[in-house]
This record gives sequence, structure tokens and C-alpha cells, in this order.
Amino acid sequence: MSRLRDADVRARNESAWLLPDGDARTNHRLRDDMARYDESDEVDVVVVGCGAGGATFMQRIARYGASVVGFDAGPHWDPDADWVSDERGSHGLYWTEPRVIAGEDPVPLGSNNSGRGVGGSMIHYAGYTPRFHPSDFATLSLDGVGADWPITYDDLRPHYETIEQELPVSGQSWPWGDPHRYPYSPHPLSGNGDVFVRGAEALGITTRVGPVAIANGRFGNRPHCIYRGFCLQGCKVNAKASPLITHIPDALAHGAEIRAHCMVTRVVIGRDGRASGVTYLKDGVEHFQKARLVVVAGYSIETPRLLLLSATTSFPDGLCNDHGLVGRYIMVQGAPQVAGRFDAEIRACKGPPPEVSSEQFYETDPTRSYARGFTLQNVSPLPITYAEHVSAQGHWGESLREYMRDYNHWAVLGALCEFLPRHDNAVTLADETDRHGLPVAKLSYTQCDNDRAIAADAQRVQEEILRAAGATATMAVSRYARLVGGCRMGRDAEHGVVDATLQSFAVENLYICDGSVLPTQGSANPALTIMALASRGAEQLASRRWAGSTSGPGMR
Amino acid sequence: MGRRRGQQTAEGSTGPSGAMPAEGGTGLRGATPAESGTGLRGTTPGNKGRYGAFDVLREVSHWDALTAGVVLARLRPDPNLKFFTGDEEPTARALFDVLLGQYDEPKVPVTELVDARLVEGETDGWRYEDMAEDGAAWRQSLAALDDQASEVFARRFHELRRDEQVQIIQGVQDASSWHGFNAKHLWSLWTRYACTAFYSHPWAWNEIGFGGPAYPRGYKNMGIDRRERWETEEEAR
Repeated sequence: MSRLRDADVRARNESAWLLPDGDARTNHRLRDDMARYDESDEVDVVVVGCGAGGATFMQRIARYGASVVGFDAGPHWDPDADWVSDERGSHGLYWTEPRVIAGEDPVPLGSNNSGRGVGGSMIHYAGYTPRFHPSDFATLSLDGVGADWPITYDDLRPHYETIEQELPVSGQSWPWGDPHRYPYSPHPLSGNGDVFVRGAEALGITTRVGPVAIANGRFGNRPHCIYRGFCLQGCKVNAKASPLITHIPDALAHGAEIRAHCMVTRVVIGRDGRASGVTYLKDGVEHFQKARLVVVAGYSIETPRLLLLSATTSFPDGLCNDHGLVGRYIMVQGAPQVAGRFDAEIRACKGPPPEVSSEQFYETDPTRSYARGFTLQNVSPLPITYAEHVSAQGHWGESLREYMRDYNHWAVLGALCEFLPRHDNAVTLADETDRHGLPVAKLSYTQCDNDRAIAADAQRVQEEILRAAGATATMAVSRYARLVGGCRMGRDAEHGVVDATLQSFAVENLYICDGSVLPTQGSANPALTIMALASRGAEQLASRRWAGSTSGPGMR
Repeated sequence: MGRRRGQQTAEGSTGPSGAMPAEGGTGLRGATPAESGTGLRGTTPGNKGRYGAFDVLREVSHWDALTAGVVLARLRPDPNLKFFTGDEEPTARALFDVLLGQYDEPKVPVTELVDARLVEGETDGWRYEDMAEDGAAWRQSLAALDDQASEVFARRFHELRRDEQVQIIQGVQDASSWHGFNAKHLWSLWTRYACTAFYSHPWAWNEIGFGGPAYPRGYKNMGIDRRERWETEEEAR
């Protein structure tokens, strides 16, 4: 059955079959032969940022015949030559240009949530790919918190389904939100996943193995996972999905160009009020690429920063910022993490960090003191990250060392808490400038009472699960995971930076296509939703603009 | 030592085994640093650890060459410091020893590894608004340690007895502000750099029984109390 489905997927996205069938992970010929547009060519589209949103968008419109150049500030990664199977050595995967964090609850960036290079943050995400729930699109109407989206779950459902097939996603059939199945069966469990399932079962909490964007089997020329535990360091196996291997190869095969190591510094607005292209820095020299349409896909910090840096006399406060919404309503998920000590060896680092989930606490429950909820998942920190966990508990010196000697005995769970969008949680420009002389981004974050109540409850439930599985001690730390928001979509210009099709209200040919457009975040990992939004936005745009130029998607 | 009073923790989390931290395998080992990778026992920092026969460096032939190069370079970092000044060096060394409880040879060369990182300006990609960028914050905080040592004990930080050093460091962890720093943010800077350097080193992996790089071999025996052929059972304590 999965063979048939694979053939269907291949017909509309050949990426997995364009990768080498052997020990090498990169199709260098495909990259060497890719289209190269001249700066004076007015290309159909430039995409700024080649992560979950930008890469998916690019692949879709390239299939429709649009000429597209994708810019990325980082490298066009080659897993063989660029990545190591080592925690410390993976520093280059993260966005480490200077940024400032502020507010009452400052949010660490870098390895925590900020990618760099083609593939974006999905290069170092764990690999969990849950859908949002139908309720996520109307939290204001349903629960009196957050915001209503200008689209519903049903608008995204077909795109969730196609993206789940393209990644592809493995997992047990899903009982929460809109119940659904996954294209691939679940992976076997490691010690860490086993603890979660047993503990939850003892308490009557439902769990499911998955959903994880790692095929349980070969997929195209992508090999089976080898369960080495380094998902967060970039998958050297090509088993874990990221746009680098799921959408970029097919985009290149359909005429897209990737311009890596190019930092876009400004969206240029012409006298007619339309975007005319982007300026970018390559090797320290400024260039300009002409384009008919600009898609900004730099994620929740760099997208607002680019719009703010692109201020003109007609947009004195930054592009698309007439209503002061650019950079606002940034969200992080609270991610309290609890470790439990077992007499047996768990060796949590063996196996993929993403394994098991429960969305039993996802929705608003009137018996609880807070609105919305949280998701529970496995995490399995490698030694450096686990040392931060132990150290965050206040341990140092010999105490830290002794807890770390006990590393193999601890199982670790993590929660994702739906923190609410707040106007004051924002990206602004700092006084400090980067090495190009451009003001750096400052992220201010402060939690509200509802946020704190969810996080406390999520921690309590995790402790109970670990105890029920037989843990003799637990250690909890507060932390944050991922970013979304900052350029939310809305029904009109007073409620959003972009509309339901990702088109900005202020500039007709400027689109935003990344996690920044999310008005709320649910307690699901956002990668799948960002890709589904990109798929929907790109196909709506392409069917209007380029449908006549070819015989349509998959037919080129 | 080493545990903040009043720190919010879950009940029963007083130690890894539900007890206070033990000394941890002291005196189990006879290997010398020179035997690293070739002896019967893996080298561990201060000869402490629970996985005596385990030596991750015996597995190098199973690692991809790129990863092996990156990891093995940590065994021989440049001994000539380039970031820390001659004045700052002894203070930095003493601070890292205390933060990591690293008092006995063989030692993970934490100061050298942090120095190399600071020379490169390799930050975590953010700084707190109320603190200078990492390099400047390191210099300021080392100077502050010597100021504090001088005020309280009339000596430099590295000249203090261990219990005196511990007293000063405990003071930073317990403070809300310290010598103009938000103490919580300074603590984060110190421990992030110290832990990242220490737990990137193969000797620390030997100490905790971590298998290190796993490409292209991967793992075959996942699950509770399941080991690969090359993994070692923990020694009885």
C-alpha cells in the first residue's frame, strides 16, 4: 500500500528520488546544473529564506512554471561535508548572529529555535509533525483568548494530508483534533519512549507513537533511520525530513535557483508602491535582484526585522507596519521538561528524540483554571543539553558531576504549552548593529498568568507519569521551545499583516510565508502547519498567476 | 555544595538515587592520561566514573571521518590562550574548576576550549539585554571575581582555599544582583560555557557512559536495560 502511495507522491514531488541512491547524501549534479538567473532578469518570484515556508512555497510555484530565486543567509547544506554526529560540533546549524533578548521572561534563541541555511530550523527540529486542532483556528470565539484565524482547519486539511505524504510522517492513527491516519507505521520504541507509554497507561492517559517525519522504511532514495539519536544535530542519514531533502531537490529540478550565503537586507519598494525586488549582501558586496513578486520567509525574528529594515518615506515605521503589527504577537511555547530517575538503564539518547506524544490535555477543559492546554512528548537530551537541565536545577561542582554520571538512568519528557499571543511580546530593532551595520533584532517576552498556569500543570502531569512508570526521583526545568507569530494573518489590515492567502495588506506583490503568520500556536509543533500554509498559499497564487503557462502541477 | 537552597525542585529529587550525591567512583581507576584510547580503561576526568572498562575512544574507527576529526581535536586544544589575558587566566581556571568540581588530574581542558570559542566570537546567538556581549561579559565577571575575593579575603580568587572559592561562587548563585550583574544571567553565561566545553569532551563521555558519535553505525539495541555489544555495564557501587 505504501508503494502505491509513494508513486503518487513521486508524481507531484520527486525530491526523495532525486537524492543519491547510495552512501552519499547530496545530489551535487542537480545543484551544479541548477538554473542561474541574472540580476537584471526580472524573475517571477524571489523567496527570502529557504526553511519550512520558503522551500515548500518555492517547490510548489516552480512546478507551476514560475521562475524563482530562493535566498538564504546560510549555506546550502551538504550533510556529508557539513554536519557531524556530535552535539558541540553542530553549532553552525544555528542562527548565531547577534540578537538581544529582554522582557520578564527572556527567551534564549540560537540552538533553541533558530535555524540557518537551506532547510531552516527543520534541519535541527526534533521531527515531530502534529497537525493543529480545528479549535486552534478560533480560540477567541471558542475560549475567549488568543485570536481567530481568517481560515479554518478545513482550509488546511488537504495540505496537511499532502505534506504528511511528502515528508513522510510515521505514527499510530491519531485520535485527537481531527482524527486521522499516517502514511507510515510507527517506529519501534526506545527506553525513553517505553517509559512514557507505560507511565501514561498506568494513569489512564492516552499516548500515540509519533507523529514523526521519519519514514519507517526507505522512502525514495532516503535510507531507513539508524536510531542514532542525533536528530537535533542535522540528520546525516537523510532519514528525518527537512525541506533540504523534501522540497528543494524538486524545486531545483523544476528550474528554481538557490542563492546561499546571501543575506537579504531590504525589500525594495518602487514609486508605484509595489515591491521591485530585494537587495542582498554576498561576500560583503550589495546586490539587487529584480522580481515581480517578493515572498518573505525568514521566520518570526528575521521576517519582522527585514520589514522594519525596509522602511521608506511612504512606510516610515517599516513595511506593512501601518497598524503597528509587524513584530507583534510573537509566541513561544512553554516547554517544561521533566526527567525521572530509574534503577534500570534507560539510555535515553539511543533512538530518535521524537517518539511518543499525548494530546489528551490539548483543549480547554472547564475543570482547569486556565484556557487552552498542552501536549506531552518525549525528548532525549544529549549530554550538553542534559547538563543544562541539571544545571538549571541549581546543581554545580561535584553535585552536577554526580547527577551527570547518572545520565543513563534518566528518562526525559517535555511538554509544549500553548502560550497566548500578547501585543507586547515583540521583535523590535535594537540600538546595537551587526557586522553589516544593520540594527539587530531584540526579542522581548513576558508570560501572562494563563501561560504560567499551563506550564505548572504540564510539569505536574509529567512528574505523575514518570512516577507511575516507576521513577524514584524527578527533576523539572522550565524552558521554551520554538517561535511563531510576529506577522500574523488576519481578516483585515487592522487585524493582520497578511490575509488568508499570505498576501500582505500593504503591498500587493509582497507575501509572507513562514511561522510568523500564525495568529495562535496551539500546543503542536508548528513545522507541518507552516508547510501546509505555504502549500496552500503557493497553490492559490500559482493557479491565479501561472496556471496558463504550463499544464499545471506535476505535469511539467 | 553546589545546590541552591530553596531552589524549586520536585519532591524526592535530592540526588540521583534519591539520596544525596555520592562521591562517585573515586579510586576505581588506575589508568593514566597517556593511556587514553589504548588502555583497558577509558580516561575520565579526575579518574571518576562508573563505566570503568568503557572507552569511547576505542570506537573511533566506527565514526565518520569528519566527526572523528572534530571530536579528537578536543583532546589537544591549543595550549596558548588567545582570549584570556595572563591576568585573567588563573581566575578563569579556578572558576571552571569550581563550577565543574574538577580538582584532580586528568582534567578536561575547559579553559582552553572556552578560550578558543571566545576568540572565534562563537556565541549562542543571543545575549541578555542587561548584559554585555559574551566576550566583554566574561572579562567583566572575571575581574569582579577578583574584586570580590580581594574585598572578602584580601587575595585574588585563584589564591583562595577551595572552600573560600566555593563560598564566593555560592554567593553568586544565591544573589539577585552581583557586582552590577543580573546574577541569574551571569550564572547562565558561566554554566553554559563551562558545561558545553566539559561535556563535549570524550573523557566526560567515558565518565557518564555516553556512546559519543553514532554515524554511520547507529544503534541496534534500544530499550530499557539493553546494550550494544560495545557498551559497558555500569560498575556496582
